[in-house]
Amino acid sequence: MAPDASYEAGFTSRVWRRRTGQRLHLTPIGAGRTLSLTHAVSPSASSMPQTTIYSAPRTGQHPPPPAVATDQLARLFGRSAALAGVSLRVEPGRVVALLGPNGAGKTTLLRILATSLHPSFGVAAIHGLDVAHHAHAVRQMVAYLPHATGLYDDLTAAENLAFAATLRRLPDAEDRARRALAAVGLTHEADRRVRGFSAGMRRRLALARLLLADAPVLLLDEPHAALDAEGMALVDRLLAGWREEGRTVLVASHQAQRITPLAHGWARLDGGLLVEVGGEGVTGEARSAGRLPEPVGAVVER
Amino acid sequence: MSDELRLAWAIARKDALCELRGRQAAGSTLFFAALVLLLFGFALGPDTRRLAEAAPGLLWLAVVFGGLLTVARLHQLEAEDGALDELARYPVERRTIYLGKALAGGMAVIVLGAVLLPVVGVLYGIDLAPAALPLALTVLLGGIGFAAVGTFYAAVTVRMRAREVMLPLLMLPVIAPLLLGAVEATAAALSGDPFGELGAWLQLLAGFDVVMLLAGAAGYGYLLEE
Repeated sequence: MAPDASYEAGFTSRVWRRRTGQRLHLTPIGAGRTLSLTHAVSPSASSMPQTTIYSAPRTGQHPPPPAVATDQLARLFGRSAALAGVSLRVEPGRVVALLGPNGAGKTTLLRILATSLHPSFGVAAIHGLDVAHHAHAVRQMVAYLPHATGLYDDLTAAENLAFAATLRRLPDAEDRARRALAAVGLTHEADRRVRGFSAGMRRRLALARLLLADAPVLLLDEPHAALDAEGMALVDRLLAGWREEGRTVLVASHQAQRITPLAHGWARLDGGLLVEVGGEGVTGEARSAGRLPEPVGAVVER
Repeated sequence: MSDELRLAWAIARKDALCELRGRQAAGSTLFFAALVLLLFGFALGPDTRRLAEAAPGLLWLAVVFGGLLTVARLHQLEAEDGALDELARYPVERRTIYLGKALAGGMAVIVLGAVLLPVVGVLYGIDLAPAALPLALTVLLGGIGFAAVGTFYAAVTVRMRAREVMLPLLMLPVIAPLLLGAVEATAAALSGDPFGELGAWLQLLAGFDVVMLLAGAAGYGYLLEE
């Protein structure tokens, strides 16, 4: 949808709220400055026919928000842009492969969506909730499998999962932990301390923690890493199961040939930019590598 | 609130389990702190009166040294393999995470103080029995305050390369009032409180604990952000 006529330049969140009755969360771009709506809505927004992050229809009929949506999302580390203005939209219930070489920005994108990193510019939302401003609510909807397993070596496998279930306020923490362990083939290791686990077993246990969360949106970063053939097949089965259940999954992987048949759609990142989008359930604003959007470019080049 | 306390207890229990089972178990910290007391004893010589006068200060210096190791280790175990990031991604308030970590740190420092008290009694020839209750209260309040500050600064330094140096550098100036209050309260308790000042020192410790717990809970969330 092209920007509405009322989306004038220089809107502040206060003006927006007064006119629409909705709160607009804007990302600060510098001391005392606020990202105005003219920055936030891409000039080529017409290529994203259902961008809803900023729209506040006055008809009262709200389209369902996308499961994952980013608009001009950027993350800088010093003057280096790990993400340089990614606009992406994933529909609910879709499995989307996030492809690209090392340093493309896949992990940074997932970490922002998982609330582990703050965006430097732009907005990211899970089911319509801005990850920066509604982080607590987003954490309830998202489960993330990162590179590092985040396990406690001196707890047993079952204790690690029971701890995760407790912090997620899930009932029957111990039963859930046992079921999750069974799902990843670690039943016999339940009472063994994680310190003695191999890298593959740790990865399986991290997968069990992901299953335990029972979250509607799953973010997976290289889920096949460190796994043997049997473990990789397990990940494939889990992905197929989530696809059938209608969960939203965003899975970053170098193994394009393995992942894409399991996914509804795919998005390719390179150099912090979204360069290609394809398949079902995912739309985005592809840019040529090397061209940074203006707000990001201004900072990086300064 | 009860839900937050339940979650904080789960975090504290996890830390306590890891601490007790860890390779660098709590025992080595206790041994180190007891060794500090022994070496102070050697340094001051065999004069039992001199040792008894110095005992409150030496006790709390040993608690501070051992406590620094303890609070640093409780955060270090989170830094291994991305556990701190994982902990921060749970749908749990930041103040709850702080409270859980401070609870675990507080329990560890209180146990440390409780073990070192009889060591001081034996090494420096002091009869602790008449002052057991005020001493226990001093260790309790001192341990809580130390953990309240230590948990915050351990999170500040956990991602630093020189964290072993930075933690005491940042933390020791802040705990100066705590150290003063704890030493004076211990001295008053051991001397039978002839000037009636014990209550004032314990109030100082309690006030320090409340202020530091509130400040730590308010600021801890910023330390987990990237």
